[in-house]
Amino acid sequence: MPHLVVKDVVAGYGSGPDILTGLSLDVEEGKSYCIVGPNGAGKSTLLKAICGLVNIRNGTIDFEGETLLGLRADQVLQRGICFVPQDRSLFPDMTVRENLRMGGYILKDRNEVERRIDEVFEMFPILKERASQHAKTMSGGQQQQLLLGRALVLRPKVVMLDEPSLGLAPKVSKQIFDSMNQLKDAGITIIVVEQNARMGLGYCDWGCVLDLGKLVFEGASRTVLDDPRMAELYLGTRRTGSEK
Amino acid sequence: MTQAIQILIIGLTLGGVFALMASGLTLIFGVMGIVNLAHAAFMVAAAFISFFAYKGLGLDPIASIVLTMPVMFVVGLVVYRLFFARSIDDPKKRSVLVLVTFAMALVIEGTLGFFFSNIYRSTNPPYAYDAFLMGPFYLPKGQFYATLMSALILGALWAMLRFTRLGYAIRATTHNRTAAEVVGVNVDRVSMFVFGIGMALAGASGSMISFLFSFYPGKHWEWVAILLSLVVLGGMGSLLGALIGALSLSVISAFVNSAYGPTWSPVTFYLALFAILLIRPQGLLGKKPEL
Amino acid sequence: MSTDTAIAGPADQTDANRSRRIFLGIIIVATLAFPLLQVFFGGFSYWLHMALFLYMNIAIASSWNIIGGFAGYISLGHNVFFAIGGYSAAILFAYFGVSPFIAFPLCGLISMGFGFIIGMMTLRTRGPTFIISTIALVLLAKILLDNWDYIGGSNGISLPLLDMPVEYVKLPFYYAMLAIAAGSVFLGYSVRRWKFGLGLRAISQDETKAEVAGIPTRFYKTLAFALSGLFIGMAGALWGYYLTYLSPAIFLTILVGAKFVLMTILGGRGTISGPIVGAIIFISANEFFVAQFGATELNIVATGVLLLLVLMFFPEGIVGTLKRNGKLPAILDWD
Ligand SMILES: Nc1ncnc2c1ncn2[C@@H]1O[C@H](COP(=O)(O)OP(=O)(O)OP(=O)(O)O)[C@@H](O)[C@H]1O
Ligand SMILES: [Mg+2]
Repeated sequence: MPHLVVKDVVAGYGSGPDILTGLSLDVEEGKSYCIVGPNGAGKSTLLKAICGLVNIRNGTIDFEGETLLGLRADQVLQRGICFVPQDRSLFPDMTVRENLRMGGYILKDRNEVERRIDEVFEMFPILKERASQHAKTMSGGQQQQLLLGRALVLRPKVVMLDEPSLGLAPKVSKQIFDSMNQLKDAGITIIVVEQNARMGLGYCDWGCVLDLGKLVFEGASRTVLDDPRMAELYLGTRRTGSEK
Repeated sequence: MTQAIQILIIGLTLGGVFALMASGLTLIFGVMGIVNLAHAAFMVAAAFISFFAYKGLGLDPIASIVLTMPVMFVVGLVVYRLFFARSIDDPKKRSVLVLVTFAMALVIEGTLGFFFSNIYRSTNPPYAYDAFLMGPFYLPKGQFYATLMSALILGALWAMLRFTRLGYAIRATTHNRTAAEVVGVNVDRVSMFVFGIGMALAGASGSMISFLFSFYPGKHWEWVAILLSLVVLGGMGSLLGALIGALSLSVISAFVNSAYGPTWSPVTFYLALFAILLIRPQGLLGKKPEL
Repeated sequence: MSTDTAIAGPADQTDANRSRRIFLGIIIVATLAFPLLQVFFGGFSYWLHMALFLYMNIAIASSWNIIGGFAGYISLGHNVFFAIGGYSAAILFAYFGVSPFIAFPLCGLISMGFGFIIGMMTLRTRGPTFIISTIALVLLAKILLDNWDYIGGSNGISLPLLDMPVEYVKLPFYYAMLAIAAGSVFLGYSVRRWKFGLGLRAISQDETKAEVAGIPTRFYKTLAFALSGLFIGMAGALWGYYLTYLSPAIFLTILVGAKFVLMTILGGRGTISGPIVGAIIFISANEFFVAQFGATELNIVATGVLLLLVLMFFPEGIVGTLKRNGKLPAILDWD
């Protein structure tokens, strides 16, 4: 049963052109989704649209039967959808612990936040080690773990990650994806955008291919990888007119 | 030597007040990325409130922060809603916001000048003309109380930023606006409060300058240039940087003042500004400029 | 509508070109011939004064536009160039006997040279620090000139009147200011069409991208800043002589620089005709305000309020707004 339903969404920045041009996507609870597509396809924009950071011009987004349209980012967060953006959005001059505290910003109960931070520390021991270190002094992989940990403080139902492996060594990327799968096993729905389609799809249940602001096709990860249309998109043989 | 220490005392006590003046400016810049060129104009407006409260009600100018701070806080909220709320996330409009503050400064200056004319004024509570004597040194009471008050207010500000929820939100927004949005900070509300708080700090500063200096409506350009210089020196958006900039430049200018006379003491600040642009454009504690 | 214009395009283009050329011809003849009214009939002294004052402001606004409009770097201190031009002419005249009518191009170059040096310092950063430095520049210049006794300090310096019959004394100023205005507008027009102008506009849109695209951004910015001082310096040189009296208080208040900005933004920064339209409207309004209220305080308020209104409602200025709505008359469309 899908619990996040994106339907015919048209969205763009400010008064600029439409970036998402009628995109539909069903997300089922407890599964992991990998979104792939060429640069500029609108992958990041889709995630931002879901969590209230981009204005939606048309279409609907429902979560657990209620619409997300018109909600501010903090209200979407209240519903249990967390977003980890592409650009390593940490607070560089705050300590690791303070960054995690910021993850629980919308929670009123401070003791509860501290308890949950301890949980995060269990999952990512390295964060506990570095708790009082400034975030900017951490390595890329550690920063990505911190970002993930920060999202987990809210005990979200859905976690969306935008290119978590960007700039990381393969081994470290693997760690990140492993932790991601751990979350999935705990019942959290995962939506991840990944440039390295092979690796991303390898870790996820379902693959969605985006181009020019639309869902081009989707399917079980394995089938997506082997689909000839993938090669077309990635090797640039598309849009030569042969598609007609 | 004695004289040097004496100048140091004067410089440091004035520096505390400069730090208070600059704090609001740098706080607003940190969160919103706007240089508020009207900051000192609002300060002068607050100084007029203190002045008339003193003349009319006999209210002590330091105590008059109970008037100036809340009044300016509310003014800040209104100004934010009217002029900044809708423009701040639109990159096109955002680039002209600094001119909006420039225009506001002109309007305030002209309005004050029209009603109260451009004559020198100051409140003159008894302590403004008195000093503590300690051996060979003296400490002007007015400056001492003003610095004490400034330290108190800055301390409260620091504690607020450090320990409260709003403080966390403000720091988070300063460090990374998108990240703050992502963790659920309502950056629009935070910006509004920060503008209000910045204005309240301008209000408190106005009460202090009402007896430390003589003021007139057109005087704010000199002050705002001084404040901007020390904020640039410390690093735009950094409170600690503003404090360091304020204390160091204030001491230097006190020495220049005693050596070359009061005309040249503001020059210290401007030259420091150009020097820092040459040597370290991002300021002492500022973030590296992009690229 | 789009198909209509697309079909009528080429014809429209030549039409527009012809109407622009005719319009320009009329303007040139009219401005050159205007002083004849004074010569033959007399009594036009006030209008000559207004006209040359207008030309000066057109020159100033068009110059400011190069850095503030094309490059997008807002300078609140361009009156410093005005002062540098004015004072260098005054020094050359009072101490070396060189008439400002001969020296004014040199004064423009001097102020441009200062612009280059200042720009090298203040344009090292992006964004707000530059604006701050321009305010500091005005205040610093005022203190320096206030205390430089050689040129009269804060008391200012008086220059002798131009030795001519009083009814004709404005004519040389008229033509000189006209030439300066024409030069300044032409410079703006050329810059806009050079590769340099393209680079400036790239800088104003996204400086990081411009730099990545290989544009020497720092050099371009600095050059734009310096060039924008050229004709303002010339205007200052003649303006001081015209007033026969220079003082820091005339040239170096924040209000003077604010008016430069207001004119350009009112007309439309980044366009060619915008600064001209802005100067015409602003000078008319200013004349009205001064006649009506007199006091400088209200003048400051009016300048501020007008600037606020323009920024809030027409940040692209008159020409920019008309152009975006497709309502700009062809005779004003020089971009
Ligand atoms: N903040 C923004 N303002 C305006 N346009 C934007 C903004 N962010 C992205 N865009 C535009 O939206 C389009 C899609 O961008 P998006 O970031 O969604 O692509 P993406 O699929 O995530 O690409 P990538 O793989 O490079 O991250 C691009 O053309 C981009 O120029
Ligand atoms: Mg992306």
